[in-house]
Amino acid sequence: MSRWRYLAKRFLMAIPVLWLGTSMTWAIIFLGPINPATYVLGQTNPQNQAAVKAARERFGLGEPPLEHYTEFMINMVTLDLGQTWLLYPGTPVMSLIFDYAPRTVWLGFWSVLIAVFVGVPLGFYAGLNSNSVSDYATSLTGIVWRAMPNFWLAIMLLALLVKSETITQALFGIPISWDTFLVDINAITGNPQLSYMQGNPLALVTQPRETLAAIKKILPAAVVLGSASMGNEMRIGRTAVLETRSEQYIDTAKAKGVSGRVLVWKHILRNALIPLVPIVTSEAFLLIGGSVLVETVFGINGMGKLFFDAAIQGDLWLVATLMFIFIILIVGINIVQDLLYTLIDPRVGYERE
Amino acid sequence: MGTRETPQANAAGSDDPLLAVENLTTVFNTDKETIHAVDGVSFDVREGETVGVVGESGSGKSVTARSILGLVERPGVIESGSIRFRGDELTGDNWDRYRGDISIVFQDPINSMNPVYTVGNQIREALRIHQGLRGQDAREEAIRLLEEVGIPDARRRVGEYPHQFSGGMRQRAVIAMALACDPDLLVCDEPTTALDVTIQAQILELLDELQREEDLAILFITHDMGVIEDTADRVNVMYAGEVVERAPVDQLFDSPAHPYTRGLLASIPGQTAESDRLPTIGGEVPTPTAEPTDCRFADRCPEAFDACEQVHPDHVRIGSDHTAACLLHEDRYDRQLSASGAGDDTPAGDAAVDGGGQR
Repeated sequence: MSRWRYLAKRFLMAIPVLWLGTSMTWAIIFLGPINPATYVLGQTNPQNQAAVKAARERFGLGEPPLEHYTEFMINMVTLDLGQTWLLYPGTPVMSLIFDYAPRTVWLGFWSVLIAVFVGVPLGFYAGLNSNSVSDYATSLTGIVWRAMPNFWLAIMLLALLVKSETITQALFGIPISWDTFLVDINAITGNPQLSYMQGNPLALVTQPRETLAAIKKILPAAVVLGSASMGNEMRIGRTAVLETRSEQYIDTAKAKGVSGRVLVWKHILRNALIPLVPIVTSEAFLLIGGSVLVETVFGINGMGKLFFDAAIQGDLWLVATLMFIFIILIVGINIVQDLLYTLIDPRVGYERE
Repeated sequence: MGTRETPQANAAGSDDPLLAVENLTTVFNTDKETIHAVDGVSFDVREGETVGVVGESGSGKSVTARSILGLVERPGVIESGSIRFRGDELTGDNWDRYRGDISIVFQDPINSMNPVYTVGNQIREALRIHQGLRGQDAREEAIRLLEEVGIPDARRRVGEYPHQFSGGMRQRAVIAMALACDPDLLVCDEPTTALDVTIQAQILELLDELQREEDLAILFITHDMGVIEDTADRVNVMYAGEVVERAPVDQLFDSPAHPYTRGLLASIPGQTAESDRLPTIGGEVPTPTAEPTDCRFADRCPEAFDACEQVHPDHVRIGSDHTAACLLHEDRYDRQLSASGAGDDTPAGDAAVDGGGQR
């Protein structure tokens, strides 16, 4: 029962965070120096005071701050996200988000998944075989992988993929083109085709060809985006296993006669997962911000790119609403993290009187 | 090394002791040096008795316990010596055959149980491995064990997690888990050190009861002379990785032969009422990094003389089952060849005896 109360409490505590975050967003964006009116007027006549004033009125920027703030907050809370001003004038923000978000979610999902399913097992393996040659090799690879900056890795990976035929010819004697490998994709970069799932999420399973193509399209970007996380998770996983291995309850279990495999799977790994949960979830945050770079290099029109464009062009309303969406996402991921905690570690949620 | 007297030299010989540790040396190899955490330790434990191991922090007590259970991990390694259980050698990775026959209770009840599984789950795990119990049988047996170690409302508490238990209750649960292995020998590594005094008394009483009921042999490791006096039948005093004195408990308390033992006894609060300051042994336990060439206690010994710096003392017979590794007795032994082990205390004044002998 205490678990549910704990989770309910988490939900309640998310409300002030949401309010505070949104208010700060409003303050930073609308009280800041950027004047979107000048962007609208652009090259025509920014010095024309009357035109600037008219544009400001149109955006509701002329209102007294408190009124504007209240209006903004009410709009956000009721999910009335309004329209964009500059980027795609007149388009409702909601429909923009529905357009762009799936690509980012698809990218984020695979980059988290690849990082978790490669990084964590490798880290656990290194931790269980600490100070062996394989541990050193894994750790070194992890550190190098961790240290490579995203933008550089992205460009290198693209260069390799473009030359895939020449490289595989030299290495294996058979030319394999990344474009036609397994499934055809029209270009190495660009948006993954996700529209086949529209209104029918089951298509993910029922149309494996499209799914495979979509995965293949996103894979290079996902690997790059997840590279740092993968290295991180490997390092933390290794440390967590090493730490858990030296815990006294492991000795107790050994003395009890628990055999190797049960010892590792039951007693070591579950405890080693506890420090990994916040690492994995905090990387999910990074993906939101970090995806701007990767989406730009790989030509994916995702939320990161949308946010970047909106910010550069002074589309304040769009920036603010996207910020609000990001805040909701982050708070949501935090709650998922707390839920994971309560599942893995029974001590969480327990309160001493 | 070779001339050291082994403890069972005067044993009846017919039946093997339950546990026989002989010249056990456990070292830790670090980049800089090799630490002899346990250095040539010998003792034995017979069926149903309690053998105490006492010494300061860093004297090698816990490493001895871990060695006996085969829990020493790199960079630690059992370098030499033998550990025999029921006559079978355990060193060389033969522990698995006797897993459960030797159980251990660690000092810190907070970390002795896996925090993410219920107490019942961990007891049932031992029951399945050692008694083949599963399902409802295992559950009932786990409840019975928790009741046996004095946990009230065991039926409910069997499904709780370790963090929901108080310190004393947790140590009881750890003991229940050790009992679930159906052991013949229970190694208790400072089982009451982390508990307050009233809980300590309860746990000691519980161990005493269990020993009588289940005919357990107990190897009791502690730094607390008072606890040793209450629990042990025979005592080994450890210092810097070595056993420096071994004796039946009343002999040890009545007539300690080693200056270190005397120091330990003097520093029990309440023993010396006349002075307002508690006597202590100055200095710290040295970290033994090499084969001993001197008495490791010499630096802190109030009765040390020249020879103590040059000769490593071997065990000398003091009484029938009482030996001490101290040159003070070596000298007397040399001088009074015919006198058979007068175990009386050496007055502090006699410490000035010039030990020219053993050069």
